[in-house]
Amino acid sequence: MNQADLAIVGAGPTGLSAALVAARAGLKVWVFDDNALPGGQYFRQLPKQFRKTRKTVYDKEHGRASELFTAIHHPNVTYLPNATVWENPDPGILAFAAGERSGRIEAKAILIACGASDRPVPFPGWTLPGVVTAGGLQNLVKGARVVPGERAVVAGNGPLLLVVAANLIRAGATVAAVAEAAPATARLWRNLPRLLQAPEIVKLAVNYRGLMAKAGVPYRCGETVIEARGTDELEEVVLAPIDTRGRLDRTKARTVACDTLVAGFGLNPSIEMYRLLGCDMSYNSYRGGWMPKRSDDLETSIPGIFAAGDGAGIGGVEFALIEGKLAGTVIARNLGALDERTAAIQAAPLRSRLERFRKFRVGLERVYAPPSTWTELATDDTIVCRCEDVSLGEIRAREAQGFTSAFAIKGSTRMSMGRCQGRNCLPTLAAHIAARDGIAVEQVAVPRGRPPARLVTIGDLLQEDLPAPVFPTDPHLPRGEEVI
Amino acid sequence: MSKTDFDRRIATGLDRGEAFTFTFDGMAVTAYPGESVAAALIAHGRRKFRETLKRDMPRGLYCGMGVCWECIMVIDGRAAVRACMTVAEPGMKVETQHGLGPSPNTAPTEGSAS
Repeated sequence: MNQADLAIVGAGPTGLSAALVAARAGLKVWVFDDNALPGGQYFRQLPKQFRKTRKTVYDKEHGRASELFTAIHHPNVTYLPNATVWENPDPGILAFAAGERSGRIEAKAILIACGASDRPVPFPGWTLPGVVTAGGLQNLVKGARVVPGERAVVAGNGPLLLVVAANLIRAGATVAAVAEAAPATARLWRNLPRLLQAPEIVKLAVNYRGLMAKAGVPYRCGETVIEARGTDELEEVVLAPIDTRGRLDRTKARTVACDTLVAGFGLNPSIEMYRLLGCDMSYNSYRGGWMPKRSDDLETSIPGIFAAGDGAGIGGVEFALIEGKLAGTVIARNLGALDERTAAIQAAPLRSRLERFRKFRVGLERVYAPPSTWTELATDDTIVCRCEDVSLGEIRAREAQGFTSAFAIKGSTRMSMGRCQGRNCLPTLAAHIAARDGIAVEQVAVPRGRPPARLVTIGDLLQEDLPAPVFPTDPHLPRGEEVI
Repeated sequence: MSKTDFDRRIATGLDRGEAFTFTFDGMAVTAYPGESVAAALIAHGRRKFRETLKRDMPRGLYCGMGVCWECIMVIDGRAAVRACMTVAEPGMKVETQHGLGPSPNTAPTEGSAS
């Protein structure tokens, strides 16, 4: 079997910065990533075949990105692109699907750095072609320099809406409306001291707002999308105001014609690996919902398994880069590649920078605290599980028959059993049950994660070079107890 | 509105190399080396990628990062391939996926329309 000191899942800002630190300290590091190129979502690259003829606004992160990408060429790093880690067959062992290179790896430490994806918020019409997530829009622009339409509405909750609006404007698209659900502007001044802990990020936001003002793009706070309409594709969206108490007023709804809706309701950490590994979880709605419990050294409840970056609680790219370095440092120390003193010297400035960004995050979370849990937008006809085409009405019908727990709803409707492996609908299901029962989302018991954590093909698995299985002679004995 | 005569690619500061074509439900679509199938289709205003199994609902690109599997299509006869994670190749045959798409047991025949 492949052997490594450290196996890292994810080659985004966190995974790459951890790999660089650990490899420089002398650890043998393997990095798995399901994309073709390193960078994750934030540092998503254009295809290698594209040639930049001059520097543009999209290249502002070129310096940081290039340094990060050197990680995959470090002699101590084995980098596997297009690789999906899908199972943890035994402690310390990961199984990965990567075409002909599919196999398993035994690692002394594992770092989960799987990042985040957009929080799914179902509303009528959200499945129409033309409705994309904020992350999806960003990836089209970053990874292909393509915009999905000519006239867009940006709606949802959080600072990413500003980035999306700016990218659409730069690309020459008309942005008909930007609807921020939270009363963000009204909360801004009160939280400014905290936000100014990260003046570089505040400056970016000011730039985005300037770009929007110049293009005449209205930014309305206290408004949300409640419906997307169209026959085969998106044709218009309905927006409605939310008052300062968080109540939706459908009577004051307005309709905006558009061919694109970018829906960004914040991010959820990708938790499928922790669910698979069995890490203890906690819930923090401000930082994206479920996330692994961690020590100050970023170690999960399972010794040797570490979690960092957005996948361990939404913090943004700066957090991710620092946490990645910190994880690389403490793992190198734990495995004896760095002595205590060197590790402490390396870690100290990282921890103090984390503290500064933590203060900034508190300010940001207060400004953008969502006015709703978003369960009131879906109607009986609204699809809540995209893979299995399950509507809210179907769930309610099953509930009326007594199928009320997440397990029973899953089993009776197939919700969360489709291709996305529940990644896109479990948050919806949990929020629905919490709202129905009047309990906190964290109190909802959700089905445990089972392999494959992410979809893999049988063809990939057949490529694995495994020793012949050892079967017990008595099928009632545990496997491997009695060898033929 | 004709959807073939425009291009939603941002041209600024970029040489994409030599264009080639693949087919989408029999029609030629221009793409550039390294581009994903999803990006090339969207650049030409083709946004409906599939119809669902249970309700025949239209779906297209949603998460854009390989998480949601909404953008699956039939590519070179193989069903349920994510358009956002698949690099376009010259001559590739891309089709709208209806339901589960063709069964893996029925080998696609050359030039067959579905």
